[in-house]
Amino acid sequence: MGSLSSTSSRVPLWRDVRVLRWAFQLLVLAGVFAFIFWLYNNYQVNISKSQIQTDLTFLDNPASFTIPGNDFDQSQPVRDALVQGFLNTLRVAFVGILLATLLGTLVGIARLSGNFLLRAVATAYVEVVRNLPLLLLLTFMNLAVVLQTFPRIEDAWLPLDLFVISNRGLALPWFEGSGYVLLGVVVVALLAMWLTVKIRNAQADKNGKPAYGLRIGVLIAVVIIASGWLLLGFNWTLPFVEGRGTVGGLRLDPSFFALLVALVVYTSSHIAEIVRGSILAVPKGQGEAADAIALSSGQKMRLIILPQAFRVAMPALGNQYLNLIKNSSLGATISYFELTQVAQITVGNGSPAVPAFTLTLLVYLAISLVTSLVVNYFNRKLALVER
Amino acid sequence: MKKPMMALAAVAASALFLSGCAATDTTEEATTAATQSTSTSTDTAASVSLLESVQAAGVVRCGTRDALPGFAVLDDSGEHVGFDSDFCKAIAAAVLGDATAVEMVDLETADRFTALQNGSIDVLVRNTTWTATRDGSEAATFLQPNFYDGQGMMVAANSGYSSVSQMKGAIICVSKGTTTEGNAALESSRLGLNWEVRSFDDTDLILEAFIAGQCDGWSSDVSQLTGFRSAYPEGAAALAILPEVFSKEPLAPAVLDGDTAWAQAVNWAILATIQAEEFGITSANVDQIASSTQDVSILRFLGQEIESSDGSAVLDPSLGLPTDFAYQVVKQVGNYGEIFARHLAPLGLERGVNALWTDGGILYAPPYR
Repeated sequence: MGSLSSTSSRVPLWRDVRVLRWAFQLLVLAGVFAFIFWLYNNYQVNISKSQIQTDLTFLDNPASFTIPGNDFDQSQPVRDALVQGFLNTLRVAFVGILLATLLGTLVGIARLSGNFLLRAVATAYVEVVRNLPLLLLLTFMNLAVVLQTFPRIEDAWLPLDLFVISNRGLALPWFEGSGYVLLGVVVVALLAMWLTVKIRNAQADKNGKPAYGLRIGVLIAVVIIASGWLLLGFNWTLPFVEGRGTVGGLRLDPSFFALLVALVVYTSSHIAEIVRGSILAVPKGQGEAADAIALSSGQKMRLIILPQAFRVAMPALGNQYLNLIKNSSLGATISYFELTQVAQITVGNGSPAVPAFTLTLLVYLAISLVTSLVVNYFNRKLALVER
Repeated sequence: MKKPMMALAAVAASALFLSGCAATDTTEEATTAATQSTSTSTDTAASVSLLESVQAAGVVRCGTRDALPGFAVLDDSGEHVGFDSDFCKAIAAAVLGDATAVEMVDLETADRFTALQNGSIDVLVRNTTWTATRDGSEAATFLQPNFYDGQGMMVAANSGYSSVSQMKGAIICVSKGTTTEGNAALESSRLGLNWEVRSFDDTDLILEAFIAGQCDGWSSDVSQLTGFRSAYPEGAAALAILPEVFSKEPLAPAVLDGDTAWAQAVNWAILATIQAEEFGITSANVDQIASSTQDVSILRFLGQEIESSDGSAVLDPSLGLPTDFAYQVVKQVGNYGEIFARHLAPLGLERGVNALWTDGGILYAPPYR
């Protein structure tokens, strides 16, 4: 009886939902692989037919060009040139993301300010800037600001005799010595600061006294940097004009400056709107509750509104960061030696185009994916845990 | 200008992935007699010379540019005019007998070899330097150079520079996508000048940077510098081209590797302009010379009948070209000297090394017999 019912209830294979599901998935997978294989095969056949070089041996050839602002010799291989370009991309992207977030947040808050003038200026800024094409903004920065507004090197501006500003770049006072050593000191200082904040806050949670974690942390960081500076013997160097260039200090390439400003201005206008929207998304009661416990407006924004707003803003901000990184490739038009520029130059000087640009493509993909991972990580950390 | 090229490149790139199947099928099936007739009509690149397909299509697709004064610019009616453009027309005149049967394809410097490789152009005449690496790794075959150039340096006339070796620590601005950065870097290290070489997409941007004083020197091929100088907003006298030439830049037409018949046809179209100048044949007097001359070598060259004891004959060197191709080139486009005088002399360029070998230059065509 039991065995009879069990055989009659057994569904045949071709009607078993579980089997069908698996079969369908496998079929789709096989189809996808077949399609990719077909594309790859076509690619191989066409490449070999048109005799285009696809291997990466060109990476070992001497680059035979120089990179302004980098310690790069023309006899170094193409590989090193591309690495320099990659680092320059990271440089402008990193600084750009920091500044764009800062400026965008301020403008976004200003958009909601009770002060009419501030609100109007912020609105005008956002509406004008985000409706302009970035390339136009960049060309404007280069032609109208750097080339036309900044003076020639002969009559460079020398504010306080500390800076040299001309259309050949901005030179700032800087330290002498190894950048890596200083970077190490700064990293140690930041770590110490982070630890202090952690420990102080944990103590405050226990004994209920004010933590002052950030203040003490900053103090400790400053002390570490200052003592590191004195012990390891860094010196200031001041830039000055010599001939048709500057000597000493840190020289920022004019194209770096133009690209950075264009990227920051453009991206910050988008970030401002994200921040404004996210602040509006914080329930009104939160602000009212902050008022009710007599927080100042600064405290209300810093402690109550922004932490909740950034939870909402994080995924959209991530997109803006990705845009900024990819948009940095426009620097190639104004001779900023980032990855795209270096790839174009190495192709112009004898490297095969297809593998060189494919490699560039993959590097951008990798940068973007890593950025996505980081943003997603923070998004998960910040996300409201609902139970 | 750039957008259509990018689109074209994108289409070409996707074609690399998508188009292959038909071509592989036909090459495989070509061995069987049954599909022979269908496969020959589709399979162009593998066995049929471009010479035949160009003659069948009735148009030469010539890779060129649109904004290099003297070499190739667009005139008011949108036609390509210039030294390189005339050589495109000479090729069309030789291959098709019609100098107007040419389709000018504007290319960015960085795209030019890709366009040649993927077959979107038949021949590249775009002031391109013949180098060993390009010969080897770009799948290009370079032909008779139509202009022997070299990289030089242009500075502001009031800069005080009279020689490249005085330009210590200078900022040098160049165009991207070609060998100029490499040549400048080499010269800089050779003379210990420590130049900062900045390279731009667009010569207009170099012009702006140069006027604003961001660049001390503008380095490019001397022929190009001469062109930019003649078009300088403050007048040509505000600029000076320094005497040093620090690279060899033989600018030569290029075709895809592995198609000898097409390469020879293009080569002889270029050589015909040189030979015509040597013979003293111009577009004005070619008809008169063809009908009146007794010089056998000229008659051979122009594809005229040569009387001999056993009747008359026309020399056909079996290049796959019409026997009167040289006549058509000279008649419709002109000889080398005419083309030079038409486009490059007005910029202030001298013949220099680009004179005939009989005049102390290095232009020398093999005998036509």
